[in-house]
Amino acid sequence: MTVRAIWKGSLHIGRNEVAVKMYSAVRPRPVDFRMLHRTDLEPVQQRIVRKSDGKEVAAAERRKAFRLDAKRSVILQPKELERLEPASSRRIATCHFVPFDAVEQQAYDQPYYLGPDESDADYFALAAALARQKAVGIVRWTMRTKRYLGALVVDAGHLLLITLRRADQFIALPETAAPALDGKELRLARQLVDLAADDFDPHAWKDEYRRRLLALVEEKRRGKRKQLAPPKARRSRGSLAAQLRLSLEKAKKDN
Amino acid sequence: MPASKQAASQTSRPFWSGTITFGLVSIPVDLFPAVRSREVALHMVDPKGRALGRQYFCPKHEKVLSTQDIVRGVQTKSGKYVAVTDEEIEAIAPEMSRDIELQRFVPIGQIAPKYFDHPYVLAPAGRSAKSYHLLAKVIADSSRVGIGTFVMRGHQYLVAILSDGSILRAQTLRFDEELRSAAEIGLPKAAKAGAAAVKRLAAAIKSHTGRSLARDDLADRYAEALRRLAGGKAKAGRDVVNAKLTATTEDTGLGEAQVVDLMERLRQSLGRAKRSGRPGSAGTRRAIARTG
Repeated sequence: MTVRAIWKGSLHIGRNEVAVKMYSAVRPRPVDFRMLHRTDLEPVQQRIVRKSDGKEVAAAERRKAFRLDAKRSVILQPKELERLEPASSRRIATCHFVPFDAVEQQAYDQPYYLGPDESDADYFALAAALARQKAVGIVRWTMRTKRYLGALVVDAGHLLLITLRRADQFIALPETAAPALDGKELRLARQLVDLAADDFDPHAWKDEYRRRLLALVEEKRRGKRKQLAPPKARRSRGSLAAQLRLSLEKAKKDN
Repeated sequence: MPASKQAASQTSRPFWSGTITFGLVSIPVDLFPAVRSREVALHMVDPKGRALGRQYFCPKHEKVLSTQDIVRGVQTKSGKYVAVTDEEIEAIAPEMSRDIELQRFVPIGQIAPKYFDHPYVLAPAGRSAKSYHLLAKVIADSSRVGIGTFVMRGHQYLVAILSDGSILRAQTLRFDEELRSAAEIGLPKAAKAGAAAVKRLAAAIKSHTGRSLARDDLADRYAEALRRLAGGKAKAGRDVVNAKLTATTEDTGLGEAQVVDLMERLRQSLGRAKRSGRPGSAGTRRAIARTG
């Protein structure tokens, strides 16, 4: 089974151009929740209403307001917003490249695979060159009148384009000072981390919950009732140092 | 429920509360999103600038529904819906719902970017500050991240627990089974590329490579264009309305009120704050500059 491309574009790097097709890298969720009306299990619908009087407002009557400050908002008319839309283009412009670890994990958003369009040779040459330079391309492009920002990365020999979150989206965390920690506790905790140190194996982790949820739905469909077990909250006992020591003994035994 | 009351009840409510277990040590934590949605400044209004919002209703009964009238359901193969209650959702995996058990510690560099899903901040809950700080310190020193799974809002998540030394962060990861493979999409197998072409492209990449990300690299050009348009209209006095009229909280995800509240919460629970950051300044700087 193959997947259909969602877009075609062209990567521009200096004077080089590589034609690519884009594919969503994320599978649709096999189980998704729908909101239902409790009494008749009818799927719930949404409508847009005016907050002040609860009256439905048709799409043609909806506007967007930009909040300038605590006092003023400005209504932006549909025609004005249309004028802000960028011209459609097939160009994926590479702003520049940065070392792989210069992009923080928090910035990565939605992944898309890129595949070769015209020339397999150009595509795999770019993937190889990017891997050799251990670099990430910061790229911008326009897809269906919307602006996108992304990172061009290599994954097992293929190119991926991962959209990036914008600078304004990050929440500034307060700068806090860590308190002085107990030397013995630190030593024990470090040993615990060392004992559990491993390589990241993405295949080792399975969505076990989804399987159980499907089983529950099947049971309920057949009219069976599920026994409910109340969740247990875990509570630590003893001093932190004692807990760490016990954990360490247990981890060593299990290893 | 009036919008203002709803906003107040949402404030300071964490996305998820549970414990991180590290060996036999349990650390109660509250989890908050670390990023806000993009169109945070845009509100849906009517032509006069009055706030609009979403309302749920049952098409069969033509009835407006409150959250009490709504239950989650899953569609079966036959097209019918089966309702599942929150209690049932929790009960099918009680051990997963309350705990993030750190089972492995792996080098962060081994996690490919395609796995990173959503970033969160963890705040110590209850009297867990001591063990929270201990874990933050050892994770930061190890250059590794803790990996575990947990259940939030009816879905299981793979999660990496990261630390900058004093604050623990959580980053949900996609399960491998959530991602397509190149073969499944139908991409040609990775082939050996011509040496000359690789050399030419590597040179082009090299000549365009900088050392770090600049704030402008992640700038939101659309938001900038919106701000210019709105600023120009405000100057000319066109379509300006009272901001109170347009304010809604529900369609903006993490509102500024919640952000301020989260900051206060972290400052209190983590003690001795050096300085308060203006939202969107210090953290962004850190987010970009730290790895630069």
